[in-house]
Amino acid sequence: MKPEQKKAWRQGGLINRLFQVKILAAILIGKTLIGLTRFLGRGGTTLPGRTALLIYPDLITFLSRQLKAGIILVTGTNGKTTTSSLLNDILEARNLEIIHNQSGSNMAWGITSTLVAKTDWSGVLKSDWALLETDEGAFPNLVKTTGPVGVIATNIFRDQLDRYGEIDLIQAAIGRGLENQPAGGFQILNADDPSLVSLTGKTGNQRLTYGLELKQLSATVQNTGRDLKTCPVCKTELTYDRIYFAHLGHYHCSGCSFKRPVPDVLLTAYNPKPDGSAQLEIKIGNDLITLSSPLPGIYNLYNLLAALTCAIALKIPAAQAAKTLEMANPAFGRMEFFTLEGKNLVIALIKNPVGANEVLRTIMAKSADSSLLVAINDKIADGRDVSWLWDVDFEKLVKNQGILPHISVSGLRAWDMAVRFKYAGFDPHKLMIEEKTDRALKYALQETPPGGTLFILPTYTAMLEIRNHLNRMGLGRPYWEER
Amino acid sequence: MRRKIIIYHLYPGQLNLYGDRGNMLALCRRTEWRSIETEIKMIEPGDKINFNHCDLLFMGGGQDSDQRLVAADLKQRQADLRQAVENGMPVFAVCGSYQLLGTYYVTAGGEKLGGLEILDLHTEAGKKRLIGNAVIRSNLWQPQRTLVGFENHGGKTYLGPSLQPLGKVLIGYGNNGTDKQEGAVYKNVIGTYLHGSLLPKNPWLTDHLIRKALAYRNQETKLQQLDDSTEEKAHLAAIHLAGSRKHKLLSTRA
Repeated sequence: MKPEQKKAWRQGGLINRLFQVKILAAILIGKTLIGLTRFLGRGGTTLPGRTALLIYPDLITFLSRQLKAGIILVTGTNGKTTTSSLLNDILEARNLEIIHNQSGSNMAWGITSTLVAKTDWSGVLKSDWALLETDEGAFPNLVKTTGPVGVIATNIFRDQLDRYGEIDLIQAAIGRGLENQPAGGFQILNADDPSLVSLTGKTGNQRLTYGLELKQLSATVQNTGRDLKTCPVCKTELTYDRIYFAHLGHYHCSGCSFKRPVPDVLLTAYNPKPDGSAQLEIKIGNDLITLSSPLPGIYNLYNLLAALTCAIALKIPAAQAAKTLEMANPAFGRMEFFTLEGKNLVIALIKNPVGANEVLRTIMAKSADSSLLVAINDKIADGRDVSWLWDVDFEKLVKNQGILPHISVSGLRAWDMAVRFKYAGFDPHKLMIEEKTDRALKYALQETPPGGTLFILPTYTAMLEIRNHLNRMGLGRPYWEER
Repeated sequence: MRRKIIIYHLYPGQLNLYGDRGNMLALCRRTEWRSIETEIKMIEPGDKINFNHCDLLFMGGGQDSDQRLVAADLKQRQADLRQAVENGMPVFAVCGSYQLLGTYYVTAGGEKLGGLEILDLHTEAGKKRLIGNAVIRSNLWQPQRTLVGFENHGGKTYLGPSLQPLGKVLIGYGNNGTDKQEGAVYKNVIGTYLHGSLLPKNPWLTDHLIRKALAYRNQETKLQQLDDSTEEKAHLAAIHLAGSRKHKLLSTRA
């Protein structure tokens, strides 16, 4: 809200009432549209918010100010959904009421829809926190309109470049967001990502960082996705003592004084177990805590640390937060597990090379009797440019063709994916190519033997389609009804 | 006699923004499938380059900060590179390096940065990035053939009178969004804004580059016909999506 509006709001009078009418209209229409889209079974997450903002552009600010404790924004290329979902669990375990944009709708429109859905019909919000995962491009503006108490920035990788131009621009956007945050709050940053650490926020905000303190991870994929090679301060090539994945690691610059800060929260031991879980040891100041994490993959270590560091900034005892984290479930679309007709289904969202390589790495660790369905759409929410498929190590799957006898490709860009597999070394005539996701899903399920596992790797909108099909088969609930 | 081509991949660490790996993979596979030996040399900034041993030079796109580093390094090899190009060395340059081959680049702040002066073109920073699917029709083949890809560039490129475009824009923006031209062809140099990756979905362009590389070393240029049905379907599907109004409108509903 602009200052003059704020004044009018307090003073009452005609202007006040006029705004109130607009707010009520925005809420009414927003809520009606949410009901309608759900009734139609489409789970529309942007249209209601978009319409409500058209009626009353300051609606996000109006709603944000009502939260009892405040807002936390989570941004970054990978790990937003999992991090905010973990943090949600930590806060809910303390009997706090949380608003959380769970289905990954993370631009201004989707966030407005999320907030409007939680108000009563007079536009009153009674929750304690809003925990909002925020698209990097929308981040600076959303910081301005919501005035968050806390922000978390997870990492910056190559992702959906068609929307934001280039990585430099994403970094600049996150930097602007950090500067826009009102003083007195806190910022949680990944110390292992040089592109985040170099960003200066406003003074007056507490800054906490987290990172890994492990020996080099042997299985690390390093060939693609190292998006940042030069020092963000002086442009000299960065020197890495350790790389955990892509450009995340222990770095310093030989040309200036820029180097990885000593993180406030450190992962000091990581012992993965065959079932995908891992035993962790985390150092916070002088305290050492241990926990058993149910989440697979290196990338989830960072997500877990981000959530834990935020809990610490909120003065939640680390041991309590750790207890909640031990019971965490994978977030929406990030490695979800189902069973259907005696077959195992694993859905793992893919959206950029670094994330997709991590997913492939986890799949390759699984046993035989598996089949694979890759569904690539190129709508705005997926990223319209499918070039990134060529930076994913699908070649790795060829070496393990034995454990993946059936591969299907689907989505609007099914044929691009088929060409990708062909050039990775697969025989294209053995691929099942079906643009329609419902038919592809049915076929892939048929081809999966009882007791076997079907891995489904969709982009964002393809994932929504596939979940809808699965819902119709009686699996799970619609995503907008979760929690 | 067994045929062989040597591909120099310039600065793979810095210029690799838009799936350039796909372009290299297309070149490797399509030579491999015809039993043509391929040697790839990755060139890093500061490496010694002898263009006399290069049969095909591939340069990708980079992000702004990396590109400055690359430009400084390339400037020192300008004379050698220009000589090789005049001798007929095939070059395939995408996006950022396509701009770099021109005479100059005017930044948003009005600063004029010198290019390699190999192609008679210049680039000006535009207000709005030109982003989207693109389809062009190219004269490289008779009858003409289409090329389909994805463009994403802030600069607007203008060709000088001596330079031919790679193709005429059917869908998308092309070099500058106004003159309907995309890319540039000079001797055996091809520059373009299209990625996607470009070569896998446009196999005739890949084969064109392979033929040029073979011819440059006086090797037999006849290429065995391959089964390109998957590539052709991907090509047509991509053109269909690029031209679909519905596809452009789709997508706000996430």
